[in-house]
Amino acid sequence: MIDGLDPIIHVPKRLAAMAILANAPSVSFRFLRDHLGLSESDLSKQMSTLESAGYVKSTKDGHGRGGSTTYRMTAEGEQAYKAHCAALRSLLDGA
Amino acid sequence: MESYDAREQLDIVQRAEAAPYIDYPATPWWYSPVIGAWVAAMIGVFSWWRSHLALAIVLLVVLVALEGAFIAWMRQRHGALPMPGRGTPPREIASVWRGYGFTVPAVALVVALTWWLAGAPVAAGVAFVLVTAGLAIYERRYAVAAAKVRSRLA
Repeated sequence: MIDGLDPIIHVPKRLAAMAILANAPSVSFRFLRDHLGLSESDLSKQMSTLESAGYVKSTKDGHGRGGSTTYRMTAEGEQAYKAHCAALRSLLDGA
Repeated sequence: MESYDAREQLDIVQRAEAAPYIDYPATPWWYSPVIGAWVAAMIGVFSWWRSHLALAIVLLVVLVALEGAFIAWMRQRHGALPMPGRGTPPREIASVWRGYGFTVPAVALVVALTWWLAGAPVAAGVAFVLVTAGLAIYERRYAVAAAKVRSRLA
């Protein structure tokens, strides 16, 4: 971690995903894909990184084309996201 | 990290945090009257509590299940349905939510007074009208606030 910034959340795609997840109890894969403008494979990769870090949890309903995946932020993810945003603000305040 | 990077990151945060509040499908026309009818039905069920207890319990369970199914459908349709108490709504949306928070107890008080003075059927009718009209006004105010946020963050 550099200056209190989280290297996992620091990547803009993942930062935006975390910001969305911080403002809804659960977020669908489709909403994230459409808002972030990412391909499905790229979004899957970014969300897997966040999930591996313990920052999000995914839930799959159904299978195949009709199936859907939703994500929610974990308590650990919320703490990391808030700390990252606080570090960004302190960087700006000190600039 | 340079300060301009921090500014860019905070801009990303601001736009993405607002997304669940301002990116949403159009509200269906039947939303307000259906919720109004649901509240009126709840009043009807409670008015039968003493005279038809078993029926009242069954109907209450049905109404609560319908509400749960409706919220699940709304969540799936929206994709990121925001809820009060989680996250930081943009100030324009927070203002509309505060207005809603002040109005709901006032409507409940008017309905309770009507129930006491004129009985359950009249109270159910008043609840239907107030909730339907109130939600329609709320939806319009929310749409205006969301448009302001979109314009501010554009």
